[in-house]
Amino acid sequence: MTQTEANTTDSAEAFEPRIVAFVCNWCTYAGADLAGTSRLQYAANVRIIKLPCTGRIDPLFILKAFEGGADAVLVSGCHPGDCHYTSGNYHARRRWTLFRNLLDLTGIDSRRLFFSWVSAAEGQKFADLVDDITGKVREAGPFDPTNPARRQPWT
Amino acid sequence: MDLDRLRQDAAAVLKDGRAKMVIGFRDRAGDCVPAFITDAEQAAELVYDETCLVNPAAYLKKIELKRFRPVAVVARPAVMRSLVLLAAEAQIAADDVLILAVGDQEYHGLMDLAGAAALLNEQYAEMPHDPEVMKRLEELSGLTPEERAAFWTEQFAKCTRCYACRAACPMCYCTRCIVEKNVPQWISTAAARHGNYAWNVIRAFHLAGRCTECGACEAACPQGIPLMLLNVSLARDVEDEFGVKAGYDAEAEPVIGSWNADDNEDFIR
Amino acid sequence: MKVLDADKLTDLAAALARAGYRVVAPIEDSGVVRLAEWTEGATIRTDVIPVNSAKDFLFPRSEVIGRWDLDGADFSPRDVQPDATKTVLLAVRPCDAAALALLDTIFNWDYKDDFYNARRRAATVVPMVCTAADEQCFCTSVGGAPDATANADAMLRSADGGAKFILEPLTDKGNALLDAAGDAAREGEAAADPPAEVPHRFDVDAVTEWLSENFESALWTTLSLGCLGCGACAYACPTCHCFDMQDEATRTQSVRLKNWDSCGFGLFTQHAGGHNPRPDQTARWRQRVMHKFSYIPERFQLLGCTGCGRCARLCGAGMSMSEVCRRIADESKKAPAHES
Repeated sequence: MTQTEANTTDSAEAFEPRIVAFVCNWCTYAGADLAGTSRLQYAANVRIIKLPCTGRIDPLFILKAFEGGADAVLVSGCHPGDCHYTSGNYHARRRWTLFRNLLDLTGIDSRRLFFSWVSAAEGQKFADLVDDITGKVREAGPFDPTNPARRQPWT
Repeated sequence: MDLDRLRQDAAAVLKDGRAKMVIGFRDRAGDCVPAFITDAEQAAELVYDETCLVNPAAYLKKIELKRFRPVAVVARPAVMRSLVLLAAEAQIAADDVLILAVGDQEYHGLMDLAGAAALLNEQYAEMPHDPEVMKRLEELSGLTPEERAAFWTEQFAKCTRCYACRAACPMCYCTRCIVEKNVPQWISTAAARHGNYAWNVIRAFHLAGRCTECGACEAACPQGIPLMLLNVSLARDVEDEFGVKAGYDAEAEPVIGSWNADDNEDFIR
Repeated sequence: MKVLDADKLTDLAAALARAGYRVVAPIEDSGVVRLAEWTEGATIRTDVIPVNSAKDFLFPRSEVIGRWDLDGADFSPRDVQPDATKTVLLAVRPCDAAALALLDTIFNWDYKDDFYNARRRAATVVPMVCTAADEQCFCTSVGGAPDATANADAMLRSADGGAKFILEPLTDKGNALLDAAGDAAREGEAAADPPAEVPHRFDVDAVTEWLSENFESALWTTLSLGCLGCGACAYACPTCHCFDMQDEATRTQSVRLKNWDSCGFGLFTQHAGGHNPRPDQTARWRQRVMHKFSYIPERFQLLGCTGCGRCARLCGAGMSMSEVCRRIADESKKAPAHES
């Protein structure tokens, strides 16, 4: 083992990011499935929540994820033009443009919030994306427990 | 400002029945408060100045006022935009309202909704965002995300969830607001940190592309929370990203409800 | 008598804090004066009435009243003790103290509210005599006064033209407070300043009588037109006491909360079956006024309003309880329509 590896495995407190991914059923979920059936190895830090379409994703879902303990959120769906419901992802795209700026203004920035288009054929892209995001979030550290979006224990 | 002409126009529409009520402002011990006038003689008590911050378009939500249609509304440009937007969102019909249009300096006269939209596009197309708010947003953008989070934690800690912001806003007309949905309870109703954050952020987001920057919400907030920082930030983004300002076109599609094939996606991997 | 310099209220606060009290006082925060927990360095201001009332510290905005640990299908309750922190409500107003008569009654009427009672027992109430009043004050129209001592444990009386305060104990708690104050209040003499002039604004008995006979009056719509149905007035009101119960749970913990509610909210009386007996603001405003000036007097021989005027100062839409009562009183004095 190299010195750095020793440090990582010795530390009982190594931070493992908890990442929630809101993905659409027809593209990204299928792409993640493909990553699995292709036996690609990638970071296990993502909890996937499947929705029929990114157009179904209410920005409140993103907030609830941070509220409940997520260190980061990924939102992913079909490429423009490929939406199973024709235009759901176009609606989602507009929402995300505005919502990510609003979250950035109020203290949740782009180190914590990621968006992607991953098609059903892009198993490798999904795996690479998760690895990349997990690395970035590990570097950014745990979501600040004093952030106003995070649910506090009742005293 | 020619308040006499405003009062005459208000009296005239009541007298000849073009309107069943005039919603404007009166003076109460030095404060500008809403006035609801049904008799032509009462029109003499109408006032207007820059302290009249209530958005009278918010009263169009009230079901007990529906029998007083058509209604004439004393409307500054942001209020005219609210009325145009309410028509665009099918909440009022064009012939439900008449407008007693007050500008920044002058009384423009009595007009219908189409006339108000024309006036807005001719003379108020360039309504700048509040410079104080823009300055504050600039300062906030220079802070770290943690510093911004701390700022908003402090501001939202004052929120008592009285929903005066929602009540004052003409565009908050849902009969069951998101915070009142409890199967499941999406937004905590306790005045706790995450509930206050979710309420204020989601309310701002539900107004994306719909806020006419009238400032009534911030004026109504009993705790002095700087709500316009959220609303102006979103309105500016809507304008920058999608080239739209709310309330100039009674036929416009909702910003969030529509899309262009070439909408920005440079942040999407 | 015990006196202190008017600009030394913070010394009194500090002394009480050292003696173990949580000190609540009117604190300045970015130009707004709010009753809040005093901490070292905070500025106490007594020249304007705070925007909130002392109710906040006896019946808080949100309170946990039940707590369970969850483990799969199992749950076990945790002991929840009401907050009984020894507190002094320092330099509140007589209208805050007057409201305690109603809150004490309501929270001990059909059930005993342990949470309110614990805080109430632990609180020492020290109102300040008002030497100034504004257009919205109307305590004298509802049986109160700027120097009323009802429910006070001690009184702060402005003296010597505002240069001093007299700190006058009225109860055992008040005496204990003075002991705790120590040197912050010294033996001395001072002449109490006259209390503010609060003109009589309306005949409250005429209001109560009109209310008992005019439930269906068209005046209710006229009176309520400005109201947009928020909770700002109910939240600021020292006597309003309605609350909503809310359960919030995660996988591991569940709490039951008591949160403030307002009869002004549109869904306040929404039934599960879809019916709403108070479907518009007319009905809701009627309820608000009748609750304070008809139902509460009928049941408890108390008024549900102490004339503090906070509702009117806060309401951006120009609603004012004293204006409404004045108009009702005027209406009640109109000669009845001639019937032949």
